[in-house]
Amino acid sequence: MPAPTPDPMFRLPRRGPILCALAASLILHPSFFILPASAAPAPSAENSIVRVNVTSQKYNFFRPWQKDAPASRRALGAILENNQVLVTAELAANATYIELELPDTGEKTTAQVDAVDYEANLALLSPLAGESSILEGKVPLEIASDPRIGDTLEVWQIQDNGTARITRGELVNAEVASYFLSSSLFLSYQLKASLQYQSGSFTLPVIHEGRLAGLLLGYNSADQISKIVATPIIRHFLKEVRKDKDAYPGFPNLGIAYAQTLDDQLRGFTGLNKDQGGVYITRVLKDSSADQAGLEVGDVLLQLGDYAIDPRGNYDDPLYGKLNLSHIVRGNAYVGDRIPMKILRDGEVVDITATLKRKGASEYLVDPYMFDRGPKFIILGGLIFQELSQPYLQAWGDKWRTQAPFKLIHAQAYQEPYEEEGREKIVFLSRVLRTPTTLGYERLSHLILTQVNGKPVNSLTDLDAALRQPIDGIHHIEFSDFPKIIHVDALEAEQTNAQLQELGIARIKRLD
Amino acid sequence: MKIFRRLLLALPAVCLAALGPASGVLQAQELAVPASEPASPAYPELAPMPVNGSEFSSIVRVENNSLVPDYRTPWNPGRSSGGTGTGFLIAPNKFLTNAHVVSNSRLVYLKKVGDPRPYKARILHIAHDCDLAVLELEDDTAFRNVKPLELGSIPKLNTTVIAVGYPIGGQRISVTRGIVSRIDFQPYSHSSVDYHLTIQVDAAINPGNSGGPVLQDGKVVGVAFQGYSGGVAQNVGYMIPVPVIERFLTDIQDGSYDHYVDLAVGEFNILNPAQRRALGLPNNDIGVIVSALNSTGSSAGLLEEGDVLLEIDGHPIASNGFVNINGEQVNMNEVVERKFAGDKVRLKLWRDRKTVDVELTLKRFLPYLIQAAQYDQEPRYVVFAGLVFQPLDRSLLNAHGITDLQVRYFFNYFVSENLYEEQPEIVVLTSVLPDAINTHLGKFRHNIVEEVNGRPIKSLRDVYEALNDGKKRDYHVIKCLGQGLPIVLDAARVEEAQGRILKQYNVPADHNLES
Repeated sequence: MPAPTPDPMFRLPRRGPILCALAASLILHPSFFILPASAAPAPSAENSIVRVNVTSQKYNFFRPWQKDAPASRRALGAILENNQVLVTAELAANATYIELELPDTGEKTTAQVDAVDYEANLALLSPLAGESSILEGKVPLEIASDPRIGDTLEVWQIQDNGTARITRGELVNAEVASYFLSSSLFLSYQLKASLQYQSGSFTLPVIHEGRLAGLLLGYNSADQISKIVATPIIRHFLKEVRKDKDAYPGFPNLGIAYAQTLDDQLRGFTGLNKDQGGVYITRVLKDSSADQAGLEVGDVLLQLGDYAIDPRGNYDDPLYGKLNLSHIVRGNAYVGDRIPMKILRDGEVVDITATLKRKGASEYLVDPYMFDRGPKFIILGGLIFQELSQPYLQAWGDKWRTQAPFKLIHAQAYQEPYEEEGREKIVFLSRVLRTPTTLGYERLSHLILTQVNGKPVNSLTDLDAALRQPIDGIHHIEFSDFPKIIHVDALEAEQTNAQLQELGIARIKRLD
Repeated sequence: MKIFRRLLLALPAVCLAALGPASGVLQAQELAVPASEPASPAYPELAPMPVNGSEFSSIVRVENNSLVPDYRTPWNPGRSSGGTGTGFLIAPNKFLTNAHVVSNSRLVYLKKVGDPRPYKARILHIAHDCDLAVLELEDDTAFRNVKPLELGSIPKLNTTVIAVGYPIGGQRISVTRGIVSRIDFQPYSHSSVDYHLTIQVDAAINPGNSGGPVLQDGKVVGVAFQGYSGGVAQNVGYMIPVPVIERFLTDIQDGSYDHYVDLAVGEFNILNPAQRRALGLPNNDIGVIVSALNSTGSSAGLLEEGDVLLEIDGHPIASNGFVNINGEQVNMNEVVERKFAGDKVRLKLWRDRKTVDVELTLKRFLPYLIQAAQYDQEPRYVVFAGLVFQPLDRSLLNAHGITDLQVRYFFNYFVSENLYEEQPEIVVLTSVLPDAINTHLGKFRHNIVEEVNGRPIKSLRDVYEALNDGKKRDYHVIKCLGQGLPIVLDAARVEEAQGRILKQYNVPADHNLES
């Protein structure tokens, strides 16, 4: 079974190439918006979108005291009310410097991130305080009402010379898919259009009848399909951010995994009759919305909110037809909402109600993602301790599921036993630097800690506290695997730490 | 000695049986040593080698025809294959060769130098853990006047040896010459899990040399058995040295091979001064700590994790795990290596800051076999409603290309986390033979079976019995490890499907529980 993730459903495979370079097909649509003569100017590509230049720097998970080389990306953001600019979160991840640039004059200003949701892949930017004049006179975009399949949408771009390029296409499909983090599923649109990227832009606004309908995430030149963050998701994000951006609750999740009930034998066994739909619940995450509602493994979920669930796990959406049930929870429902469910349990239909909540990334035993902060670590005389996170495993590259240390991959995939031990995080010895303190331990790596100086280690904070209490001047460090226990001289380790700092390891711990 | 932790084989050694044209995939990968390796350069100080015609006539070409089981279709007899290697007469009508030369054998023939006739042989004893086998001829008339080769001893470093055999499948005998480069513990790649004493030589040893003698002063100092395919080393060949050969020959004297025995512990060096201080040990570079202990091995109940091993049979154990035997520094396990099942070994321990003497009786430790390559075994399986169940071992994992994390976990940690206590055998649903009854069940492939019809599964036999217990039920329910969704099979439909599936897929029997 897949790892618990911040999404309520099974993972879907991530869609093909993102932001492919387009073949040289120069199909021009010289149909620029014509400004009406009235006093209030209508939104237009020239007046309602802005270049966003972002420099970002990833943290290095193997050498957690340092960052990798910085890299820059460009995008086009949608200007919204209150001098705010909407872009994808992926663009703003690990940003060290963000600037807004007017496409016509080239005027620039420094910007900050007001709110970000990496799961929904949305970020709201604004000029730094006192520098908002750059957006004066611009025409903010409103949010479109939900477009329907068959509607014509426009992708707005700005050419290098500052003029607009607009590509029209047909909205051909809406489906639930992952945006950026493979573990999070959201409604996404598919637009059929022959698109040519301008200026290597990373994110593009998508417009319906002069209002913002989505952000373009990727384009597959082979089938000319673009993938787009859907309108209800943008509306949901903005509504919550504008309520209180400091208490942004995110998108709720149910915390379940399920299986389809297409097999007659399974249907017979669970007591489903011929006409009933429903999906078989295979997993309920501890303390999730579904868990607190009393949902159990083996229940068949027949109805969620107002919608009957079919044996595949879809419902009939009034706008978009068959959609995965996760959109019932994420489309129009908010954290704190109560959502009724009908389930089949031991042959009886039972009504239960879930209060929707969201489990944040850092609340998981193994963080599914980590941006804008460095991995926590402690160095003890050359022993490097970290908390297990999915980004740590992903640092092994695309094939991390087979290349990363097996015990850690297994722990990430099967977290329950560790949670039952009362761990908040899995702390492990990631590697050993060769120092006088670590003599004999040089070849140890990727060992999960159980106790240090007799105290259980359920987080790096626990480890930090335990390391203040060596026993007779010696740290006793215990692992779940061979060699089970090692000993380190406490005083010598401190001296070594000081030397490591002199040798260029800028810091010997990060706990924030 | 067995590899008790996931000590991966850092040195990719390759077996050296040359293969006939019928050779298949399984053995072809052992052929990584390039066949066109140039001959060793002549050594300027060549002494005349005491090899004469009579010694050549004791060296035979071994031709093996085998049936290699296919773990994807375990009900089939297997794929015919074959290969050639070398063997030599060590006693009247007793020929020594490598186990890997005659594995999975159906027919073995020996060929004598200058004699076109193949002589039919049979395997008397085969030891997959040290890659040795003894063959005998049905009729040894042709060899009655041939003098067997004598065993020598461990040759000194930097002395000359010759390897004699039939490399690269050739019909004529080949002699290559080199020196003894290193004497060390090395993995024996045939079983994938065993480490024994090995001698490295720089004589050209190529596929087909396998099982052939390496000679010095006319005496056998080793059996050529594997090369090195790492791509970084050159002129590296390995031979099985005399102590390992003698141990095998002694073991089979009672008519059966009883395998190697082990302490069944994992030991860790005590080099760090803080570690020594915490354990209360003097700073004298003596002792290794017991860091892993197998609960059914020789040491179970007598040793504890955290014990420090100070001496083995009176030999002080250095803090890097070495002992000094007859002036040679060797791994402490070498003391156990030379012993047999039922033999005793004396250990001096440091426990709770006091010395303790224990004596333990050595025995074989079986659970490690899950990680060993299987030979001369009929694959076991159960087919039920098109679902194929098989017990987990290395051959199974490789044949099915299983990457499932739970299966890999049970494979990797079966021994080190003592998982065999709860589940002596891990049963995997390896494949599904498609039929209307199981068309929705393909997603359960490569899962571990945890429970069948309410019965916890500890062996393949449990699966068979739970599915065929004769009780009346509407549905068979199979639970897989970590899966919330059970496999549900309509019992009435199974009855009608079972015969149809076996016939359709040409499966002669719905189960084989004996290997």
